[in-house]
Amino acid sequence: MVAQELESQQQQQQPPKKGSASLHSHEGPGLNILVGKAREVIQQAIVDPVTYLANWGRLYSLWPVHLETACCSIEWGAVSGPRFDAERYGILEAFGSLRQCDLVVVHGTVTRKMAPRLRFIYDQMPEPKWVIAMGACSISGGVYFDSYNVLPGVDQVIPVDVYVPGCPPRPEELIDAFILLQDKIRNSNIKKTS
Amino acid sequence: MSLPTQSSGLFTEQVSEDKLVVSIGPQHPGAGHFRFTIRVEGDTITECIPDPGYVHRGGEKQTEYRTYIQSIPMIERSSLLDVTNITLPYCMAAEELMGIQVPPRAQYLRMIMSENQRIISHLYWLGIQGIFLGHSTMFMWPLGDRDIFIDLGQMIGGARITYSYCVPGGVRNDMPPNFKDRAMKVFEYFESRLKDYERIFFRSPLFEKRTRGVGVLSRSDAISLGVAGQVLRASGVKSDTRIDEPYCFYKDISFEVPVYDDGDTWARCMVHLEEMRQSMSIIRQCLEKMPQGQIKVKLSPQQRAQAGEAYCRTEAARGAMAFHIISDGSTKPYRTKWSVPSFRNLIALPKLLVGSHVADMPAIYWSLDYWPVEADR
Ligand code: SF4
Repeated sequence: MVAQELESQQQQQQPPKKGSASLHSHEGPGLNILVGKAREVIQQAIVDPVTYLANWGRLYSLWPVHLETACCSIEWGAVSGPRFDAERYGILEAFGSLRQCDLVVVHGTVTRKMAPRLRFIYDQMPEPKWVIAMGACSISGGVYFDSYNVLPGVDQVIPVDVYVPGCPPRPEELIDAFILLQDKIRNSNIKKTS
Repeated sequence: MSLPTQSSGLFTEQVSEDKLVVSIGPQHPGAGHFRFTIRVEGDTITECIPDPGYVHRGGEKQTEYRTYIQSIPMIERSSLLDVTNITLPYCMAAEELMGIQVPPRAQYLRMIMSENQRIISHLYWLGIQGIFLGHSTMFMWPLGDRDIFIDLGQMIGGARITYSYCVPGGVRNDMPPNFKDRAMKVFEYFESRLKDYERIFFRSPLFEKRTRGVGVLSRSDAISLGVAGQVLRASGVKSDTRIDEPYCFYKDISFEVPVYDDGDTWARCMVHLEEMRQSMSIIRQCLEKMPQGQIKVKLSPQQRAQAGEAYCRTEAARGAMAFHIISDGSTKPYRTKWSVPSFRNLIALPKLLVGSHVADMPAIYWSLDYWPVEADR
């Protein structure tokens, strides 16, 4: 966003030479180099630091929404407990409104009754938002792959960023998933969220 | 007038000046994978309709196309808080159909694991009850101590919580030689911890104020509604499958069944607390009395059961758990029916919530120890 605005300002400041349509193609390399240089300068001086700052801010304050879908939520409880303590990584379950949340951890099986609710909750959350699919059930259906009431994978309803295999995953694996997600956020582009 | 149905009941609706219809769950800190709708007049709940089934995964149907041994991990997943206790009646029923005698050492190992699992489950319950009453310390302490008992189970079972320990014919692993010392140390530590729990939580004025006289279930109601486990015992009914119909070697073990006459949330919490002490004493006695010997009767993976029916009942962490298996003589059950305590306790929820305050709702709800995954199967 920032880059585009600045870029358009920059372009407006350039005095148009003999009709703007031919600006980039036929007028020799001089101006092209100038625009390219200016873009690079803006990128390095403004966009990169702003992106870094915004991502850094999001990185260590992930608020998962309190939505338990199945038995993996027990290991979620253990992760919030004192031995594994996800709060060290800036992840603390939000007991308030889901409109303040930016992370959905799908705790296992999503049944046909839960799926519309999951989508409903996901749609109400503000951007940017991320999803961790926890457990074999939310990846492919797990032990219930042939059940009549279970979705074979939660990615049929919402987009998933990190998959955590296991049935249930050990708390260490879940913490590893948080670190993976933080890596992803650290390297993400501010213009395009989720 | 009945409450709005599922499609329209997603939001809080103002019915009149002082009446509201509130939908709680499935995304709600006090509900988990469960939803109920309440009608509120001022601060008093006048009607409650539970809406279970968010975790119905068709486990009963799935046992029909798995062999006896293949079903075990799947049955176990229905109650991950309480894994040994839920597979035990299934294995006992399958053994009855196959005509197998389980070696005594395996029976003792089963008892040790079930009692350990009972403590793990109760500690999880206690942590959540603590946070529902606004007591964060009581969330952190039991969850930290729970990991110690999980380590104890891990020594025998080999996995963190899902060890599929009971199999038809016995148990999967024997216990390591250093288990007894380790267990004794853990129990010594936990007994002193239980005193701390009492001091900081169970005898604190906050806990008394928020639970005494809240959500009272009378003895006659408890019997007529057919509730199970702690809810039944807190209402003054001395009922425990371990004593009424002893299985394994419970008849050789002396332990007490805590019973309270109050029937309120306080009594249900105290029953949980007391049961943890009793479970430790049971494990101690089991470790003393345990004989050496075989831990399992070797069975073929395609073991056939005789045609017929078997029904077995045990006392799980939340109450009496029963399995009914119908066999047609093949390698797979023809039909299984699971009777789980959580689902039977759910029927008490509307009864308890009507007439109580909205602020008491979390305490009452969780004092039933309702575990939706187990209830929905
Ligand atoms: S992955 Fe395993 S533990 Fe997790 S919800 Fe599925 S069955 Fe339960």
